[in-house]
Amino acid sequence: MAHQTAQIHDKISDGALTSRIGRNGLALGVLGLLIACALGALEGDHMRRFFFGYLTAFSWVLSIALGGLFFVIIQHLTNAHWSVTVRRIAEFTIGAFPWIGLMAVPLFYPLFTHHGVEEFGGLLWPWIHPHGEHAALVAKKVSWLNANDFALRLAFYIVLWSGMSRFFLKQSLIQDDCPDFKPTLKAKKWSALSVIIFALSTSFAAFDIIMSMAPEWFSTIFGVYYFSGATMVIMAWLILAGRRLQNGGVLTSAITPEHYHDLGKFMFAFVFFWAYIAFSQFMLIWYANIPEETGWFMIRRTDAWMPVTWALVIFHFAVPFLGLLSRHPKRNLGAITFWAGYLMVLHWIDMVWLIMPQYSSETLPIGLMEIGSAVGLLGFFVWAVARTAGDKPLLPRNDALLGESLAFRNT
Amino acid sequence: MSNNQKLYGALAEFDNVDSIVAAAKECRDRGFRKWDVHTPFPVHGMDDAMGVRPTILPWLVLIGGFAGLSIAVLMQWWMNAVDYPFKISGKPFFGLPAATPVAFELTVLIASLTAVFGMLALNGLPKWFNPLFRVKRFSRACNDRFYIVVEGTDGTFDAKETPAFLESLGAIAVETVPLPDESEKLPAGVVRFAWVFTSLVLLPPALLYAARNSTSSTPRVHLVPNMDFQAKYKTQTASPLFEDGRAMRLDPSGTVARGELDFHGSFMTGKEDNGDWVTELPVPATLATMERGRERFDIYCATCHGYAGRGDGPIHQRASQLALSGQAIWVTPTNLTEQRIVDQPFGQVVNSITEGINTMPGYRQQIPAKDRWAIAYYLRALQHAQK
Repeated sequence: MAHQTAQIHDKISDGALTSRIGRNGLALGVLGLLIACALGALEGDHMRRFFFGYLTAFSWVLSIALGGLFFVIIQHLTNAHWSVTVRRIAEFTIGAFPWIGLMAVPLFYPLFTHHGVEEFGGLLWPWIHPHGEHAALVAKKVSWLNANDFALRLAFYIVLWSGMSRFFLKQSLIQDDCPDFKPTLKAKKWSALSVIIFALSTSFAAFDIIMSMAPEWFSTIFGVYYFSGATMVIMAWLILAGRRLQNGGVLTSAITPEHYHDLGKFMFAFVFFWAYIAFSQFMLIWYANIPEETGWFMIRRTDAWMPVTWALVIFHFAVPFLGLLSRHPKRNLGAITFWAGYLMVLHWIDMVWLIMPQYSSETLPIGLMEIGSAVGLLGFFVWAVARTAGDKPLLPRNDALLGESLAFRNT
Repeated sequence: MSNNQKLYGALAEFDNVDSIVAAAKECRDRGFRKWDVHTPFPVHGMDDAMGVRPTILPWLVLIGGFAGLSIAVLMQWWMNAVDYPFKISGKPFFGLPAATPVAFELTVLIASLTAVFGMLALNGLPKWFNPLFRVKRFSRACNDRFYIVVEGTDGTFDAKETPAFLESLGAIAVETVPLPDESEKLPAGVVRFAWVFTSLVLLPPALLYAARNSTSSTPRVHLVPNMDFQAKYKTQTASPLFEDGRAMRLDPSGTVARGELDFHGSFMTGKEDNGDWVTELPVPATLATMERGRERFDIYCATCHGYAGRGDGPIHQRASQLALSGQAIWVTPTNLTEQRIVDQPFGQVVNSITEGINTMPGYRQQIPAKDRWAIAYYLRALQHAQK
C-alpha cells in the first residue's frame, strides 16, 4: 500500500487530563498503602504478613512494567506498524521504571531485618537464616542467596530496566521533532540486544524475587512463567489506558477497534501461553514425582490452596480462553475493556498464588491488607506513568509508520 | 432465457480499485447470488462491498477442536484404564495431567485440519476446470485488471440485460463467457498418480497384515538397536563397578525419607530406650488410620500373609506348590491370627515390620513409620474379627 502521510485530527496531548488521572492514582495509592500498613501493624507479626502482601503487589505492578518493556522492544524488533498508535502509552508506562525502584526500597527492610521471625528463616525470604528441615540444602546456596548480593542484584535489575526504558522513550520523544528517522532506526538497532538482556534479566529477577521464597525448590521455566503473565497483563493495561484516555477526549479516532482487536488477540494468545507454561511446569514435576520438586506444588494442591489452584485453571485460563476466542468480543469496546480489567485482577490472584502459600499453607491470607497493598502500588504506578506522560504527545506523531497504523485494518 | 444453458456467465473488466469496489456494491444491491470478483491482490473492504456473509468456518473449526479434545481424552482413558490397564510408576491408570499433552495436540490437529479442508470444501475446491480460464482477457486477473463475473446459474441472469447492466457500472469491457465443450473429467496424469499413490499407501498395512498372520523362525529386525539393547544395569543384576558386586545401590547411611525427620527412636522401631515394647498406639486411633492400615496391609503384607492374615497369601500358595515338586524351598508365612501374635504389643509388631523377622525382610524402606503403626492397628482388627 502506498505510504500515507499521517493526518491526525485528534487532540494528542492533554496535561490537565494526565495530571487528573495521576492525582486520582496517587490518592488511591496513599489510601491503599495506609490501610495495608495499619492492618499489617495490627497483625502483630513483625509486619510479616504485610510484607508478603506488599511483595505480591510489587510483583504484580513490576510485571506490568516488564510487559511494557517487552512490548516496546518487540514492536521495534519486528518493525510492526499496527501498534504505533498505542506504542507511546507503553513507552510512558516503562518511562516510570525508576519509580518501581522506589517501590522496591521497602523490600530491603526484610532483607536485613529478622528480629522476631527467626523461626521462619527471615521476614520474607527464608534463606536469610536457613532454618528447619531444609537448612542443610539451603546452606549450599548461600553463595547466591545472601542478603548483600541479593540487594545488589535487585538494584542492578532496576537500574538496567530503567536505563533500557529511558533509552526507548527518549528515542521516541526525539523522533517527534526530528526531520529524519535516525532516532527510530537507533531504537530498532538496539532492540535486538535489548530483547536478550530483557529475557535474561526478567528470568533471573523472577528466580530471585519470587522463586527463592521456597529456596529448596527450583524450576528453570519459572522465569518464563512470570514473563507469560507480564506479557498478558501489559495488553490488558494498554487496552484500559487507551480507553481511559479516549474517554478523556484524547486520541479519540487514532486508536480504533482495529487496534483493540490486535491487543485483544495478543491478550488471548498470552492467556493460552500462560496456561501452556503453567502446565508444562506442573506436568513434568507431577510425572517425575521427585520429592524435592513436588513440595512446592504440594502446598498449592492441599488444604486451603487447592481451590485457588483450580480457580486459576478455570478463571485464568478456561473462561477467558472461551470468552476471547471469537473476534466479536475483541472488537467490541465494552467487552474487551471488561476482559482487560478481569485479567488484571486474575493476574494479581496468580501472583498471590505464587507468593502467599509461602506465608501460610493452611489458611488463605487474602484480605483487605493484601488488596490495600495491590491497590496502593497500582495507584502509585498510575501516578508515576501519568507524571511521566505530563503534557507530552500521547502519540508518536512523527513516526514513519504512523500513517499505516492509523489506516490499519484487520481484514 | 433459452440460451442461458450454454453460457457460463458474463464477465466485466475494470481497470482500478475504486471502480471495482463501487461496481461490486451495485451488484450486491441488485441482488445477484451467483457472482464473484477477481482481483490481482486482496482489496480491503471488498467483503462489505460484495455483501459476503460471515463464513461458518470458525464454528466448524470450534467443533473440530472440541472433537479432537474429546477423542484424545476418551482414547487415552480407554487405552490406559479400560483396554490395557498397566501400572506405571505409581501413576493412576488415567491421569488428566498425563493425558493433556496428547489432548492439546489432537485439539490443534483436528481444528487446523478442519480449517484447511473446511476452507477447501466451502470454496468448492479442488476444481479441475474453470471456464474463465478459456477467456483470453481474464489472464490479466493476476496482473493489473479487476473482474466481476455473474454466472448464468444466477436466478436473475439474462443474456442481454446482465452484460448491459455491467457495462453501465463503468466496465472497460464486457463479454459473455460460453460454456466450453471440454469435459470436467480429471486429467489422465492425475488419475494415474492417484492409482500409484493409493497402491503404495496400501503396501505397508498389507505387509503388516501378512506378518501378523504368519510365523517365522528368523529373529525380529531391530530398527533402533540402541533402544532395544541399552548400555545400562537392570535391577537385581551384578556390576563389577562396586565392591559388593551389586548394581543396585543402598541409600547413603543417615538417609531419612521426606517427612520422617521429626520421628525418632520408639516411633521408628517400636522399642523404648530401655528395651520394652511400646504398648500405646502413637498415632490417632481413628477410622482414617484403620483404613490406611488396611490399604497398606493389602499392598505389602497380604501377598504372603493373606488378606485375612492367616498366612495363606497368593505367593504362599504358588510357592508351596513349587516346594511340593521340589522346585523351591519355602517357609510357611506366620498365621497372624495365632494367639502368640495376638499377645504381641503394638511395638513388637511394628518392630517386626521395620526390621524383619526370621525369613521375612524388613519393610523400613518401603513403608513409612506412620503407616507401619497403621498396619499394626489394622492387624488388631483382623485378629479381633477372627477370635
